[in-house]
Amino acid sequence: MRRRTRRSQPTSSTISNGPVDKLEESDGLEKLEESPPPTPSTAHAPDASMDLLNQIIREPVDPDYALAAARGRDPSQGRWMLGVLALIIGALFAVAALQTTRAAPALKSERAELITRVQAAEREQDELRSRVTSLTEEIATLRAAALGDDAARAVESQINTLDPVVGNVAVTGPGVLIVVDDSPSATADARDRVLDIDLQVLANGLWEAGAEAVAINGHRLSSLTAIRSAGDAITVDYRSLTRPYRVEAIGDVRTLQARFVESSAGAWWNDLAQNRQMRYEISNVKQLDLAADPGIVLRHAGRAAS
Amino acid sequence: MIPLIGLLAGIVLGIVLEPTIPQALQPYLPIAIVAAMDALFGAFRAYLEGTFTDRVFAVSFISNVLIAAAIVYVGDQIGVGSQLATGVVVVLGIRIFTNAAAIRRALFHA
Repeated sequence: MRRRTRRSQPTSSTISNGPVDKLEESDGLEKLEESPPPTPSTAHAPDASMDLLNQIIREPVDPDYALAAARGRDPSQGRWMLGVLALIIGALFAVAALQTTRAAPALKSERAELITRVQAAEREQDELRSRVTSLTEEIATLRAAALGDDAARAVESQINTLDPVVGNVAVTGPGVLIVVDDSPSATADARDRVLDIDLQVLANGLWEAGAEAVAINGHRLSSLTAIRSAGDAITVDYRSLTRPYRVEAIGDVRTLQARFVESSAGAWWNDLAQNRQMRYEISNVKQLDLAADPGIVLRHAGRAAS
Repeated sequence: MIPLIGLLAGIVLGIVLEPTIPQALQPYLPIAIVAAMDALFGAFRAYLEGTFTDRVFAVSFISNVLIAAAIVYVGDQIGVGSQLATGVVVVLGIRIFTNAAAIRRALFHA
C-alpha cells in the first residue's frame, strides 16, 4: 500500500511536486520528513520504490535548518528556549530510565508471585488428592456396612479382590525396584534421555511379567494412567516427574525380575543401557508401599438387584 | 553550553522530582524519547554545519515527539501499535545513525 503511493508520487506529479513544496517551506511552514525529491532523475531510478529509505539516508537533517540559515538568523531569539527544551529532554530521559529500572523489580516480583501461586495450586492439588483417597476409603467402609446380605457379600469380596489390581487401594508387599535415568551425556544428545515411551515400555513389561501393582515415582499406575511427555518432563497422570525415575512393582519376587528381563521390555531397556549408557538398575525389595491411584473415581453406580 | 547544562539539570530534576507519568501516556514515553534523540542528533549536526536555529529545533523536536507518539497511539487503537512502534524506531534509528556518523566525521575527521 505504502509502496504504491510512494511510487506514484514521482511518476504522476514530479513536475508540480517540487515547486509546491518549495513554496510551502518558504512560507515558514515547518514540514518534517517531507521534502521534495532532490532531482527529477530519481523518478526513474531503479530503486524508485525504495524512495523512503533513500530519503531518510540522504536527508537526515531537517532541511529547514539550511533554509532558516539561508534566511539569516535572528539573534533576538533568546537562548532560553534551547535551555528549556534541553531541560525537558533531560527530564524525559531520567523519567524513562527511572521507570524502566522501577519496573524491573516489579516484573521480577510478579514472576515470583506467579511461581508461589503455582506452588500453592500444586499443594492444593496434593491435598485434594489425599482427600480423594480418604473419601474413597470412607466409601469402601460405608459400602461394606450397607451391603448386608449374602449376595452383596459376594459382590464385596469381588470388589476386594479387584481393588488392589486396578489400583484403587494402597497395597504393600515384596517386589522389584527399577531405577532408570538419563545417561550422563544427556545434555549433548536428546536421544540419550529417557522418553515417555521408554517408561511406557517399562511399565507394560512389568505388567506382562506378572506385576500386581506398579508405581512410578510414587504415582500408582492403573489402566487409566497416562504416561506422556509434556515439554521437557515426563508426566504420569499429568503430574510431572523428576529424575531419576523409580519404578516400583509388587509381584512374585521369585519370578518377576527374571520374567521382566526376558520380556521385550527387558530387551528394550538392555539396549538403552548398553548403547545409550542410560542408568538401569533392577533389584528385589522385601517391602514396597504403593499408594492408591487418586485418579480412579466412581464412574458408574447402580442399585443391586434385590 | 546552555543546552548541556539544561540537559544535566533536566536529568537531575527528573531523578529528584520523579514526576509520575499518567498511566495512559506511559507506553509512548520510550517512542517520544527516540524521537527526541533524533531531533537532538539532527540539531547537533546542524550546529556543526553552522546552520543551527533555535526555532527550527524547537518545532522539529516538539512535532517529532508528538507525531511519533501519535503514530503509536493510532496504531494501538487499530491493533498494530507494536508494529508501528517498530517502524518509527527503525526510521528514526536510521536517521540517528546517519547523523551520528556525520557528527563523528565532522568532529574527528575520520
